[in-house]
Amino acid sequence: MFGSASLLAGAPGGLPNLPHFRPKARRAIWLFPAGAPSQLDTWDYKPKLRGMFGKELPPSVRGDQRLTTMTAKQKGFPVAPSLFTFSQHGQSGMWVSELFPHTARIVDRIALVKSLHTEAINHEPATIAVNSGNQLPGRPCLGSWLSYGLGSLNENLPTFVVMTSTYTNKSNVQALSARMWGSGFIPARHAGVSVRGAGDPVLYLSDPDGVDRETRRRMLDGVQALNARHADALGDPDTDTRIAQYEMAFRMQASVPELTDVRGEPESVLGLYGDDVRRPGTFAANCLLARRMIERGVRFVQIYHRGWDSHTNLPHQHRLQAQDTDQGTFGLITDLAQRGLLEDTLVIWGGEFGRTVYSQGTLKEDNYGRDHHPRCYSMWMAGGGVKAGTVFGETDDFSYNITKDPVHQRDLHATILNLFGLDHNAFTFRHQGLDQKLVGVEAPAHVVQGLLA
Amino acid sequence: MNAQRILLLASALLVASLVAAVAPHVTWRTAVTEPASTAAPVLPGTISFNRDIRPILVAHCFRCHGVDPGAREAELRLDRPEFAFAPRKNGQPVIVKGDPARSPLMRRILSSDPDTVMPPPETHKTLAPREIALLERWIKDGAPYEPHWAFIPPVRPALPDVAGSATNPIDRFVRARLKEEGLTPNPEADRHTLIRRVTLDLTGLPPTPEEVEAFVRDTSPGAYEALVDRLLARPSYGEHRARYWLDAVRYADTHGYHFDNYRSIWPYRDWVIDAFNANQPFDRFTHEQIAGDLLPRPTPSQLIATGFIRAGMSTNEGGTIPEENLANYATDRVETTSQVWLGLTMGCARCHDHKFDPISAKDFYSMAAFFRNTTQPAMDGNVMDSPPVLRIPRPEDATRDAALPHEIDRATQLYDAHLEAADAAFMEWQQTMDAADLPTVAEAALEFRLLTDGTQPATLRNAVAQDQPFTFTGGRPQVVLAPHGPGFRLPSGVTANLGSLGDIESDQPFSVAAWVQLPDNVDGAVLARTDVANGARGWDVWLKGSRVGLQMIGAWNQDALRVVARGAVSSVGWHHILVTYDGSRQAKGVRIYYDGRRQGVYEEVNSLSGSIRTKTPLRLNRRSTGEGAGGAAIHDVRLYRRTLSAPEAQVLARRGALETVLATPPAERTDAQLLPLRDYYLAFVDAEAMQHQRALQRLVDEFEGVTSRSKVTLIAAEKPGETPFARILIRGQYDQEGPRVGAAVPGVLPPLPRGAPANRLGLARWLTRPDHPLTARVNVNRFWSQVFGQGIVATPGEFGTTGDAPTNQPLLDWLAVEFRESGWNVKALFRLMVTSATYKQSAVASQATREKDPDNRLLSRGPRFRMHGEMIRDLALRASGLLSARRGGPSVKPYQPAGIWETVAMEESNTKIYVADRGEANHRRSLYTFWKRAAPPPSMETFNAPSREQCAVDRERTNTPLQALVTLNDVQFVEASRRLAEVAITERGADDAGRLDAMALRVLSRPLAGAERQALTPVVRDLRQRYAADGTKSKALVTMGDSTPDPAIPVPELAAWTMVASLFLNLDEALNK
Repeated sequence: MFGSASLLAGAPGGLPNLPHFRPKARRAIWLFPAGAPSQLDTWDYKPKLRGMFGKELPPSVRGDQRLTTMTAKQKGFPVAPSLFTFSQHGQSGMWVSELFPHTARIVDRIALVKSLHTEAINHEPATIAVNSGNQLPGRPCLGSWLSYGLGSLNENLPTFVVMTSTYTNKSNVQALSARMWGSGFIPARHAGVSVRGAGDPVLYLSDPDGVDRETRRRMLDGVQALNARHADALGDPDTDTRIAQYEMAFRMQASVPELTDVRGEPESVLGLYGDDVRRPGTFAANCLLARRMIERGVRFVQIYHRGWDSHTNLPHQHRLQAQDTDQGTFGLITDLAQRGLLEDTLVIWGGEFGRTVYSQGTLKEDNYGRDHHPRCYSMWMAGGGVKAGTVFGETDDFSYNITKDPVHQRDLHATILNLFGLDHNAFTFRHQGLDQKLVGVEAPAHVVQGLLA
Repeated sequence: MNAQRILLLASALLVASLVAAVAPHVTWRTAVTEPASTAAPVLPGTISFNRDIRPILVAHCFRCHGVDPGAREAELRLDRPEFAFAPRKNGQPVIVKGDPARSPLMRRILSSDPDTVMPPPETHKTLAPREIALLERWIKDGAPYEPHWAFIPPVRPALPDVAGSATNPIDRFVRARLKEEGLTPNPEADRHTLIRRVTLDLTGLPPTPEEVEAFVRDTSPGAYEALVDRLLARPSYGEHRARYWLDAVRYADTHGYHFDNYRSIWPYRDWVIDAFNANQPFDRFTHEQIAGDLLPRPTPSQLIATGFIRAGMSTNEGGTIPEENLANYATDRVETTSQVWLGLTMGCARCHDHKFDPISAKDFYSMAAFFRNTTQPAMDGNVMDSPPVLRIPRPEDATRDAALPHEIDRATQLYDAHLEAADAAFMEWQQTMDAADLPTVAEAALEFRLLTDGTQPATLRNAVAQDQPFTFTGGRPQVVLAPHGPGFRLPSGVTANLGSLGDIESDQPFSVAAWVQLPDNVDGAVLARTDVANGARGWDVWLKGSRVGLQMIGAWNQDALRVVARGAVSSVGWHHILVTYDGSRQAKGVRIYYDGRRQGVYEEVNSLSGSIRTKTPLRLNRRSTGEGAGGAAIHDVRLYRRTLSAPEAQVLARRGALETVLATPPAERTDAQLLPLRDYYLAFVDAEAMQHQRALQRLVDEFEGVTSRSKVTLIAAEKPGETPFARILIRGQYDQEGPRVGAAVPGVLPPLPRGAPANRLGLARWLTRPDHPLTARVNVNRFWSQVFGQGIVATPGEFGTTGDAPTNQPLLDWLAVEFRESGWNVKALFRLMVTSATYKQSAVASQATREKDPDNRLLSRGPRFRMHGEMIRDLALRASGLLSARRGGPSVKPYQPAGIWETVAMEESNTKIYVADRGEANHRRSLYTFWKRAAPPPSMETFNAPSREQCAVDRERTNTPLQALVTLNDVQFVEASRRLAEVAITERGADDAGRLDAMALRVLSRPLAGAERQALTPVVRDLRQRYAADGTKSKALVTMGDSTPDPAIPVPELAAWTMVASLFLNLDEALNK
């Protein structure tokens, strides 16, 4: 279905000169833990903190870091070592927190970056930035850029799909909005299409009650007959396009339910994703849908999972959140790998920023919270040409500052584009007189060679 | 040599050989290149700097050699002649007038050395052969510069001489342009097309069959003009114009960021509609929106107009930095004002001088200064009436609203007079008063009283029962000293399970009292018996931005009650809070007191009808899940199973203070100590004072009633006595302040007149000064695009050097001058446009015109394009007769698929759950639909409606399958189809052809052609058979929607014709105007 011959064919709707060079990834799935998981409790193991419980974070480490007003007035900054146990996994010996027992089984497939950083310190601007390269709304996000540049891989489904998942931790849940998957100044057909866990998976997809497929077909035949006459009389090419789009709508009414109907998935596959996969709308169920979309030629899928913003009560909240997502993540990577799809499908895990080593509010032996931390945090990628089993970048003993190989979000963007065969400087869209780029025009972005296979 | 270097070289070679490089990094396949042309490129007779040269410089040079000193390379500027011709270090200018060969500019462009060639290879920019030839010719001609066209004030051009009898000036300009291109205009469209087009363009609605009929029959000479005048006089005209304006001014019904809570600003929307209908001159329209509050003695209407200033997004997100929020609000206003009136994007200059237009960062912050001097707070408080607001009483309340403040004043004066007289009596009384004589609040029905004993860490017991102490979980709170004993401070996450206490039913009265000491702007539950997982069923007393609220929920929010105090509890010192409820299931039955004083409230939800009991235990500082009001200190929490009275509220709040005073010997009592004692005396001892207080309270209550019935709208108010200023923020960062600048307009435009105030009013008047180069052009252009589908300048928000050049500048300038000199008469402008032959042309496109004028930019045919989502929906409602005639008022929530709000909103948002309205609300015009910014109405969004998060002066017009799904399947359209079928059947009886015609007349404003009728006949026959054979499906289809089907029509017949009507509403012709 996706043989190498089609690699060179150029996708319908993409730009004629793209990709710039041979791509390693053709599709991507971005697992987005929204609200900022703590790197200290998940991927950035800091054994030296163990003896430092409650000690003041040295001012030399803190520097002049901007603080949110939530902790700016806090009197002290007591170090909160992670309550979670870390252990080494896989051939690579990667350290993983006990929060992710399932993901730990696939560490040899992932490239972990511990040195991501950004400027934004609040969710909304930061989430927009990691998606679109800029804190202010109004710019196209990564999925829109890929849709615009590379086009669609199928005729029956959207190119860029977004799913939001149910979540267990209901406190401190941050808002999501369509601006996070918007196409900004790029034409709107490249915006993410929201596929929903409940109700119609695509808005207004179902025929009204009392209208079956044959009736719809018959009615559409009438529409099209009159439209064809109209097109002849007026000579407006938009009428021809509309005729085609009504046919596409009719096909989607069949192809989307086929996509979301997972009854044919064998137990052996469902088992990979865990019990949650049987409940529509969960992260695991969305992961399975993502695989099915990828198989059917959706270019870019983003799965949001909210509720990670643990300013207080972090150990409890993160545990709930990890339970929601861990096995689905494992299932997705494993399932893709088993089908040979991981080779040219890029999977990205990570969100808008990290969390502080010091406790927000009172630090207790069994409880703490953490504030926003943009100076360093962790993300990982798998498949699609990334160097599996790698750990890239280092942070200091407090996971407060980067000590080696910093990766700005714009470098991540450049690297992802590179995996898709795109030169981040040459891939532009003219807007307001400027050749706009995903990586922005303010500072140079670099492809992180150390992440490439 | 590394690979990168090789690629650079390769690219440079491509440049040198003057072929168009497609992708310089192509290494794995052959680069596709145009064959090198030997023929010289065709150049125009005379070179125009603005038309031919500036676009080349903008695209290739200005980023490094333009206005922005931060990005400037080699200290070279090419944007202004004085710099371009200035001698360089070597004594020679880069452009030698008349001599391209000696001009370093050309030598660098033609260089084959990658180190010297311009533009440098890493920019991935290459000049086309024609561009190079143009530059060469321009230099040869002496390299004349011109100011950018849009910065030169328009002058009325002479009307071109064209053959024929064009009387409308628009036609003279358009035909002159068509002639240049060898095109001829189309003939006039037929009468059916004409009335549909002009009715839709002027009112946003289709004509009725009767109107169509009458117009087609009326062949008198002035019939069309008379029709236009009738349409301009309809209220639907203002509604339609307003909808475009509301996109531009980013109007919405929620705050936008974070909670994205409801805001009350719809009176501003209605103001815009009224202004268009009253044909308010555009200059006054401008002044009132930008600076209505600064006009002398502003009227309420002029204050409502300043909703323009407030229509942007705001936030209340904890942790955001106030200074940064204020900077963002000002940026949004600068960006909106500059797009809407100046047609300039100034946003780039927030971080750096504009790269292409002569707009500096200083210009940006000088503009921001105009908008930074308002009293709007950095945090919106998540409330619908974030200050400053204007309250507008109901008409029937207007008299009392005006009178009550005076009556309250008078009553207060009378009371004050009594106070003076009563002072001697009080002084005498206080000597004899004993603490034992103080009234108490009866302990009757006191279910619990939570106290702590003062040992660290805090314990918790119920003082009215001998039960075991309660235990805290999530931590042990610290004991703190409250005025009347030890209290404790509760961080987020710390809670106490109070078990079966507070198991209240919605028809039982109760009262919750406590002493609190709150942090600033705190949110969360204080005392809650709420089961979050079970639809938040239960009740709780909670804080919203430090305002005390009560909610009682059976099922949110169809069966719920939610009342919140208008004012916040001060974060300074301890305060007593009391919430009472009378068991009436009415919001009116809730009273909230701070320190014994009754507070004004918002009745946010008032739909409680059923049970609220739940199994979840009562908890302190938390609902069944969640965090609670982090950091609040609490003392003496009480639950009474009865409604405490107002005097009891006073006693609860004050008794402690009074006891302390009375324990002091009378002679030693300080004035401060006497204050609460005097309050007590007046409230409980002095009968005459009590009478005064009751009279005063009656008036205050009445005023409260008038206030709560009033409509409220966000307005702008200037900080009194302060001069507007801003600080330049380095790279737009709020925390990197540069020099301070006063309010000023961009240097490239005419200055504020001498003596004009440097504030919003000065700015507003400056925008409409007669010699302004932009305001009239920019707005004429947008009005033009509403009718013709695209502007004369195709980039309506970008008139700067990077925007598109006008397709017909004389036309634009003529219209701009005409608009201004007509007294900024908007209706006259629309009349002029729609009565032009250009507008009335047939839209039929021949092969030839399609090739020469593919997008109709030259107007070689009539305007025809897909309508906005609102128009498509309104057309379906009007054609079927469902459309409500009601105008204005609060926004409505019509049909919407489930889960649109819920999936994106925060738990705490009051716009998390979409509760659709019933009945008429489903059939209002689309501009009255509630607009939540984080999740706009999905059917509108599918048709490219902007999110209203920022200014949008232009909508895209895509053509997608998702749009087809809306008009095919949305219940809104299915219901309209059924209604349309009923109308056709009722009107035409058993005549199938007649029914088809009735539908066509309503949707397409024309009868069907014979061939069309024939094409539909088998479809009708087939649908009829299908539904006749399936009663269940028929029933299901005709019962969709809120309105009931006509029982006189057999169900299968109605179902079949519902599908036929839906067919009509989905025709390309129906979706286009």
